[in-house]
Amino acid sequence: MNSPIDIVVCLKLTARPGVADADERFAGVSPADQAALETALVLAEHSRGSVTAAAVGPVAAELALREALACGAHRAVRLDAPSALDSAEVARQLEGVVGDAAIVVCGDYSLDRGSGSVPAFLAHRLRCAQALGLVSVDHTGVVDRMLHVVRRLDGGRRELLTVPLPCVLSVEGSVARLRRAGLRDALAARTTNIDVRPSAPMAAHAATAVVTPYRPRARTMMSPGDPDPLARLRALTDATGSSTRGETVALEPGEAAERILRSLREWGYLD
Amino acid sequence: MSDRTQHAANPDVDVDVIVVGAGPAGSCAAIALARAGFSVVLLERGPFPGSKNMYGGVVYPRILDELIPRWYDEAPVQRWITRRSTMVMTDTQAMSIDFRNDAWAAPPYNGATAYRPDFDHWLAGHAESAGAQLLCSTTATGLLRDRSGAVTGVTTDRPDGDLTARLVIACDGVNSFLAKDAGLYREVAAKHYTLGVKETIGLPKEVIDERFGVRGREGVDIEIIGCTSGVNGGGFVYTNLDTVAVGVVLKLPALAAQQLRPEQIIAKMKTHSAIAPLVEGGELKEYSAHLIPEAGLSMMPKLATAGLLVAGDAAALCLAAGIWLEGVNFAMASGMYAGQAAAEALRRGDTSEQGLAGYERRLTETFVLRDHRKLRRAPALVLSDRVQHRYPQMVAAVVERMFRVDNPDPKPGLRRILAQERKRAGVRRRDLARDGWAGLRTFG
Amino acid sequence: MMHSSDSQWPEVSFEERMATAHFDVHPHAHIVVNSAVCADCTSRECVVACPANLFVPTSDGGVVFNYEQCFECGTCYLVCNQEGAISWSYPEGGHGIVFRRT
Ligand SMILES: Cc1cc2nc3c(=O)[nH]c(=O)nc-3n(C[C@H](O)[C@H](O)[C@H](O)COP(=O)(O)OP(=O)(O)OC[C@H]3O[C@@H](n4cnc5c(N)ncnc54)[C@H](O)[C@@H]3O)c2cc1C
Ligand code: SF4
Ligand code: SF4
Repeated sequence: MNSPIDIVVCLKLTARPGVADADERFAGVSPADQAALETALVLAEHSRGSVTAAAVGPVAAELALREALACGAHRAVRLDAPSALDSAEVARQLEGVVGDAAIVVCGDYSLDRGSGSVPAFLAHRLRCAQALGLVSVDHTGVVDRMLHVVRRLDGGRRELLTVPLPCVLSVEGSVARLRRAGLRDALAARTTNIDVRPSAPMAAHAATAVVTPYRPRARTMMSPGDPDPLARLRALTDATGSSTRGETVALEPGEAAERILRSLREWGYLD
Repeated sequence: MSDRTQHAANPDVDVDVIVVGAGPAGSCAAIALARAGFSVVLLERGPFPGSKNMYGGVVYPRILDELIPRWYDEAPVQRWITRRSTMVMTDTQAMSIDFRNDAWAAPPYNGATAYRPDFDHWLAGHAESAGAQLLCSTTATGLLRDRSGAVTGVTTDRPDGDLTARLVIACDGVNSFLAKDAGLYREVAAKHYTLGVKETIGLPKEVIDERFGVRGREGVDIEIIGCTSGVNGGGFVYTNLDTVAVGVVLKLPALAAQQLRPEQIIAKMKTHSAIAPLVEGGELKEYSAHLIPEAGLSMMPKLATAGLLVAGDAAALCLAAGIWLEGVNFAMASGMYAGQAAAEALRRGDTSEQGLAGYERRLTETFVLRDHRKLRRAPALVLSDRVQHRYPQMVAAVVERMFRVDNPDPKPGLRRILAQERKRAGVRRRDLARDGWAGLRTFG
Repeated sequence: MMHSSDSQWPEVSFEERMATAHFDVHPHAHIVVNSAVCADCTSRECVVACPANLFVPTSDGGVVFNYEQCFECGTCYLVCNQEGAISWSYPEGGHGIVFRRT
């Protein structure tokens, strides 16, 4: 049996959608972050592992950490920082806590429609494997330090991945429903000590993120050419058919990247 | 926050006292007990205290003088009530008694508008600083009892959710399933309840100041009879800083027996010429609803049984009689007295029904039950068909004829007008005399 | 009657009205209505009294109930006169209505 593994789950306390008040009473953890916590707890249970809940932010962030402790996280760390940092900076702050954890789990995106790029930045900083936007995480491989996960692709497709530890995962809210904390655990978590660390000095370039309301990007839709109204309706709404204009090409990495960017621009995802 | 009172003195139980419900009653009970040195768990089903709570809009916090001296320096108040109107209206007329009192604009104040998610959250914060362990997002689902039937704790909807205590105080509000579970209510019937619905309407502060004739933090409180489209009940308009609360309270059986829905009754009231200019152009910020235990003493349950006390709305200690809409003050007071009586009983080691008798004694000796005794006829009187439907017609008609200037006809004498309008409204002299007498005895 | 035409402003739709209230909806219904009992009910007290308008008569003489936007007030179980029509409880702690300016 391998040695116990350390799992870190990164949580963010955010205002609920539609709430202007920056008030901790109306703040919460996104479904994706909740799923990340549940994933971490399950992985720990199957690997004699331990879970550290980490959050970057002001005191209010401890609400998210206490909920994690109540649900079974073994310890909690808060990196004291203002709440509106950009993703790269959050990842930089988290690096110290994440250290040499075997698995880092994040939510895919937070309630306030963050970009979901913190896990990518983290994986980059830690120079480890990353599997992002997961819809399923199988815990059976964890004892062999190998995770089998399913990633969502465009057009309803799925990709099966095998990720070696150490790795950074980000999960969608649907991956798992967070367990309900037991009464005694919830009472105990009220007073559990939270390890508060001063934030690492800000990087020179660090800018606080400008928070703007979420606006979905405009996307160009091809108008279906079929003259038959029913067929046109089908073409617009049918999820079973192939709704994305998929295309398989084999290119060198550099060209492939160029090609992907071009397509994204064409489809309206990039400016 | 402190954990000095984390563990119960008695190792057989989890905690000395469980208080269910972090409304005004529960928080005051928890403050009193925690300060007396007992371990207290305060359970709240909402994500934070106040999140489930809605009311008309005016608190009378003077009872807090005892628990939180200078509460007015810190309570999350919207406006201090300096002007209070009681309005009687028909479809096309309105008559008000308008009272202003400058003294109410300065400490120790009288009434204040406040949002419950703010006020209850603030008050529960005091319970926590006193040492109570507040646990939110936790619903108490029933009572634990020993073989003798004495209450020994509660079950909750969390895993491993049973919690034991030497005493439970049910402050779980109007629906109190705990008091019902304990068999303290003789009867649970729709006729004892009114439904309150309200709109919180956003308007700029200057507009509110101008329309209601107030300045700074001064506020207005208007209670109305005759505005509920024939459904027995009443209405209210209260000013917050940048919103106006407009709502109606409706007797349940009367509401259910007709065709207008609650929000339609508010909508109709808002078009009345006495109300429309106050709220016109405002934006609906929040629509809400909540029940009121309205029947006063006649529905009041038993207040104690072995191991259990009941306070606030859970004990129907609410005064909803037309021009009075009070409950938060009674909840805070009854919660505090329940806490004090519980502390006394725990010190003596006797939490039997007898041992808990100090609670009812305290209520009887103070305004809590005195006001209820005094006003015990008020809800029935104010919500009676005569007061609701005939008197507003009659009063408005009398006043109209007194103020009408249509010379050269000589004005008839008041006595004659009264007699004529009484007949026209279909009110018998005997009933008028009886209601007048009841009113005098009740409110006089 | 009560309408003086110059004091009108657009009333919001019921959907907009309910959208001003915030609900943290739990996946399981906390109130369950037995449609078999409702089918035989002629008085339908719940339909007019529920402040959230959650009891909706259907064309085939039944009543459908949606629990999601419930104020948890208790009106329905009090006004309903039919035994066994409504089984009523609070939603799991932390879920349901969250008031803000009430
Ligand atoms: C429309 C309306 C207008 C009103 N106007 C006024 C007014 O202007 N002024 C005034 O003073 N009073 C007014 N009242 C009355 C006042 O709101 C109540 O009397 C007062 O809130 C009672 O306080 P309480 O603590 O007893 O109950 P509540 O305030 O109802 O608190 C009960 C608490 O218990 C919690 N709870 C319930 N069940 C459980 C459970 N099983 N487990 C855990 N927690 C639970 C609830 O979430 C809640 O927080 C009004 C009421 C209404 C409905
Ligand atoms: S819930 Fe009750 S009142 Fe409503 S339709 Fe069903 S039986 Fe009738
Ligand atoms: S509890 Fe109130 S809001 Fe909920 S369904 Fe019943 S009547 Fe409607």
